[in-house]
Amino acid sequence: MSVIVLVEHTEGSIKKKSLEAVQYATSIAQKTGTTVSAIVLGTLPNDEMENLGQYGAHKVLNVPDARLNELHPRAYTTALLTAAQQEASKIIIMLHDINGRAVAPRVAGKLKAGLVAGALSYPDLDKGFVIKKAVFSGKAFAHVNITSDVKVITLIPNTFQLNKGEGKASIEKLDVNFSDNDFGITVKEVNKIKGEIPLADAQLVVSGGRGLKGPENWGILEDLAKELGAATACSRPVADAHWRPHHEHVGQTGGTVRPDLYIAVGISGAIQHLAGVNGSKNIVVINKDPEAPFFKAANYGVVGDALEVLPKLTEAVKKFRQNHK
Amino acid sequence: MVSLFGRFRGGYMKILVCISQVPDTSTKIVLKDDNTAINNQGTTYIVNPYDEWYALVCALELKESGTASDIHLITVGKADVEPVIRKALALGGDEAIRIDADSNDPFQTATYIAEYAKSVSYDLILCGKESIDYNNGAVGAMLAGLLDIDYIGFATDIQINGSSVIVKREIEGGEETDACSLPVVIACQKGVAEARIPNMRGIMAARTRPLKAVTPVAVDPVTEILAYELPPAKAGIKLIEADNMDELVALLHTEAKVL
Amino acid sequence: MSEIESIKAIKGGEFLIRETQADSVFIPEEWNEEQLMIAETCTNFLAQNVVPNLTRIDEQEEGLMPHLMEEAGALGLLSISIPEQYGGFGKDFKTSMLVTEKLGAGNSFSVAFSAHTGIGTLPILYYGNDAQKEKYIPKLASGEWKGAYCLTEPGAGSDANSGKARAKLSADGKYYLLTGQKMWITNAGFADVFTVFAKIDDDENLSAFIVEKDFEGLSLNTEEHKMGIKGSSTRQVFFNDCKVPVENLLSERQNGFKIAVNILNLGRIKLGGATIGASKEVITSAIRYANEREQFGRPISKYGAIRYKLAQQAIRTYASEAAIYRASQNMEEATEMYEASGLDPIKAKLKGTEQFAIEAAIIKVHASETLDYVVDEGVQIYGGMGYSAEAPMDRAYRDSRINRIFEGTNEINRMLTVDMMLKRALKGELDLMGPAQKVAGELMSVPDFGGADEEGLFIKEKKYIAGFKKAILMVAGAAVQKLMTQLGKEQEVLMYLADMLIELYVSESLQLRVEKLVGLKGEEAVKEKLDMMHVYINDAAVKIANAGREAINSFADGDERRMMLMGLKRFTKTEDINTTQARRNIAAKLIEANKYCY
Repeated sequence: MSVIVLVEHTEGSIKKKSLEAVQYATSIAQKTGTTVSAIVLGTLPNDEMENLGQYGAHKVLNVPDARLNELHPRAYTTALLTAAQQEASKIIIMLHDINGRAVAPRVAGKLKAGLVAGALSYPDLDKGFVIKKAVFSGKAFAHVNITSDVKVITLIPNTFQLNKGEGKASIEKLDVNFSDNDFGITVKEVNKIKGEIPLADAQLVVSGGRGLKGPENWGILEDLAKELGAATACSRPVADAHWRPHHEHVGQTGGTVRPDLYIAVGISGAIQHLAGVNGSKNIVVINKDPEAPFFKAANYGVVGDALEVLPKLTEAVKKFRQNHK
Repeated sequence: MVSLFGRFRGGYMKILVCISQVPDTSTKIVLKDDNTAINNQGTTYIVNPYDEWYALVCALELKESGTASDIHLITVGKADVEPVIRKALALGGDEAIRIDADSNDPFQTATYIAEYAKSVSYDLILCGKESIDYNNGAVGAMLAGLLDIDYIGFATDIQINGSSVIVKREIEGGEETDACSLPVVIACQKGVAEARIPNMRGIMAARTRPLKAVTPVAVDPVTEILAYELPPAKAGIKLIEADNMDELVALLHTEAKVL
Repeated sequence: MSEIESIKAIKGGEFLIRETQADSVFIPEEWNEEQLMIAETCTNFLAQNVVPNLTRIDEQEEGLMPHLMEEAGALGLLSISIPEQYGGFGKDFKTSMLVTEKLGAGNSFSVAFSAHTGIGTLPILYYGNDAQKEKYIPKLASGEWKGAYCLTEPGAGSDANSGKARAKLSADGKYYLLTGQKMWITNAGFADVFTVFAKIDDDENLSAFIVEKDFEGLSLNTEEHKMGIKGSSTRQVFFNDCKVPVENLLSERQNGFKIAVNILNLGRIKLGGATIGASKEVITSAIRYANEREQFGRPISKYGAIRYKLAQQAIRTYASEAAIYRASQNMEEATEMYEASGLDPIKAKLKGTEQFAIEAAIIKVHASETLDYVVDEGVQIYGGMGYSAEAPMDRAYRDSRINRIFEGTNEINRMLTVDMMLKRALKGELDLMGPAQKVAGELMSVPDFGGADEEGLFIKEKKYIAGFKKAILMVAGAAVQKLMTQLGKEQEVLMYLADMLIELYVSESLQLRVEKLVGLKGEEAVKEKLDMMHVYINDAAVKIANAGREAINSFADGDERRMMLMGLKRFTKTEDINTTQARRNIAAKLIEANKYCY
């Protein structure tokens, strides 16, 4: 009767957000008097797996099949269903990211299990199994009760605080009978944009809007992002005008971000844009129009022309970094 | 179940596009009934943008290029969603299916659609990466699971190559190119196609395109929404002079603790 | 109502002497699903293709405007009501009005669109022979060719028939050689086809010609520098022995003035549609700004002075819209009636439109002045930012102004309103004399105080509107009697009478719209619209009384003047209402919706 949590890893190490998932699972296991089994699909050094004990994992079920180092939703599902059956698990936890979103609904559908996609809270067990999630792209939150016996949850990364403890997880090999169909998808090519921080998981984001006046002015925004170690993003009009690639578009019809810090430069703050960013913990708005609605959603505001303020801010960050090495 | 599919021969491809009705993006969310429901009064509804701009238009492009022969649109909802279905039909599509039910969660929706899809041999099922109301992004992957076929999410480009499909999709920090055989469920986002505006010809044709209501199979939801809440208002903004960026950095360090 | 009576019910100008039933008017709340989809396509087209390019459009970037026209053509928006045989969609007049309204929010693009689909295309569609229509209409409908219309000359504006352009037959009889100078020609810079008006030899009346841009002897001047609609191409067009094949004579010789007048009737009501489309857009900007802009710690939309302006903008727009679609429906019904009586569809359409020429002139004036009010207060709501070229009010304010000038100045249209009314009376088409005499009789008798305890949502308003009609009949009747043939020269009196007629027509249209709406949706659902009606009619009564008084004082004196002033007071008397509260209610809904929502 353990809580199962799918752990993601890349290039030999576990992703930080998966540690959040393990810890989330641990919290539920403690409340329900069970233990946590972390599922590691693919190959990973043993010490990395053992260290999941520091976040409360009791054991790691590993399927050391190198094919699983890449996402194969059907194979992942088969493995998770095997683990769930073996462990008699009623609760399965993944991340609300590209991988989790391909796998969790499939697992939930197979098990006729209720799914909360994008959990923002621990389950409230007093009222059933109630979890808070964002709806209408962040314009509201819903408290969703899972009524089925088996429950599947995907977590929004960067939401739950990590507390590293002591402990070492035991490692068990999980035997899974894969079929050929489980690997029906062939990965032809992978293009990672080197040095760029993935937007969805970024803790710091610098985002530009029409106030930057043209694609030729993005250099000064990238300078700030580089100095901060931040990902870059943009508003819809900017993506529509092809000033920036579409994957940078955040808002109701683009990506959703929840960083610790979102710096909006020259973005007026239409309701559609706010929907994609209002999960950010801190918002800085730089805009020359003091009436820009974004200021109402901001923690810090600077009224000024983006092209003048940005270099000054970059300079200030540089100075700060030098003093805080 | 697999035998139901795979009838695809070039030029006879059948595509199912899943569409959902959502409130217009400019809608302000207002709660009612002790916060247990959304107040829908005066809400304008649109086709979920990801479904319309990318999934549907991608299907239309495949038909226009001679790759696909039939495009069916499917949605789950009572008769009041028909105007929105016709909005989608104004862009294109040969017929629309409305599963005559109110769906409460992705499991119900996916089950309804899966049951219908089993009765027709679709070669390709397209949906948007998520709907902008409940943001689950779950129906596509769940549907693929229920049909035991492959699923590719966050697609940015789709090319049909004989009986297989080459899909570019977003991965963390980049892009990946996948290949797999039909049938497959693909969830689309920006890049797959360019949004279109319905033209007069399409609008006039929308009325004449078949739209049939289908009785749903019996399936219970597995989740329920107990309550809603609205985000708290931001507590006051601190304004910093444009010439004093050191102060902003200091605040981000000491107060916001993000640097 | 019997068949014969219902046919009688759709006669232009009759609103002055007859009562209209609410269920007979069309109201915009009745748009069907297909029409709403078409409207959405227009709105999306503006949002995606036009609004992001407004600056480039105003800079007249080479090729941009014709490209936008072609894109609109590809969507089918240039051929909404063109018959299917010429590549159009054969939609009714109201639907084409709806498209004009929605695209009316597109600043200079709207002008190019209206000119192309209206004066650029319709003369050929309505007056062309089969060969001309087959040659030109499909290309104009698709946007492959763009159309323009050359009537005005440096010395001939409002007095169009006085133009100097002349045409004479070439020696071989194959061409008309066209010579003259036309000015303020919209779309001239990129038009492929021009409808040009000129007199043949020493004719008394104008003839019309279809001239292609490549015909020898046609040349263009440079772009005019204008106050507004800077993106609209406006040039002079010169014709220097321009060789126009004889088969390009449009309609019959000397029929040009009739063409010009009839096309203008349509142009006027369409201009009304376009301007309220613009009004709604400007109101939305104003509301958004008022909700965002904070002063003294609160958004300025919380202040009464601003709320008053927002409410007033919305009331006038909503009222104007009521009149526009009421008349559009009437034109459509009249067209159907003429068609049923055996006229061919195009003749029927022209007669149907002409039948409501008075209403078209009224609408042109009211809607263009509404937009001017809306943009003026829009600038005011924006305050300092309203005067900045970076905020949207700058362009809206400048672009609005032309609407009171083109398609016949508002002064010409005011005079036409009265002139057409009296001419129809003189011809016996409209019985004004009988009702006017009845009103004169009423002046002598004891006032009728009956009906005071009658109940009903619209009893009072209907009574006020009946009173407005009496006021106009009294003043107009006396003016005709006193001034006789001099009335045409007493332009001030004509302006006063026109103002009275305009306020009457719009008040009545608004009252009918709200009455029909209450029937459809119930009183509770349309509270703010009832408020709009109350406020508008309250204000209209004051305007009608003032205009009437000025008119009476200009031509009457002694007992006669006293008696008429007393009558005027009685006919324009309304009960006092709290308009401040009503405007607050109207504004509250706008502020809540954060956009024009009526």
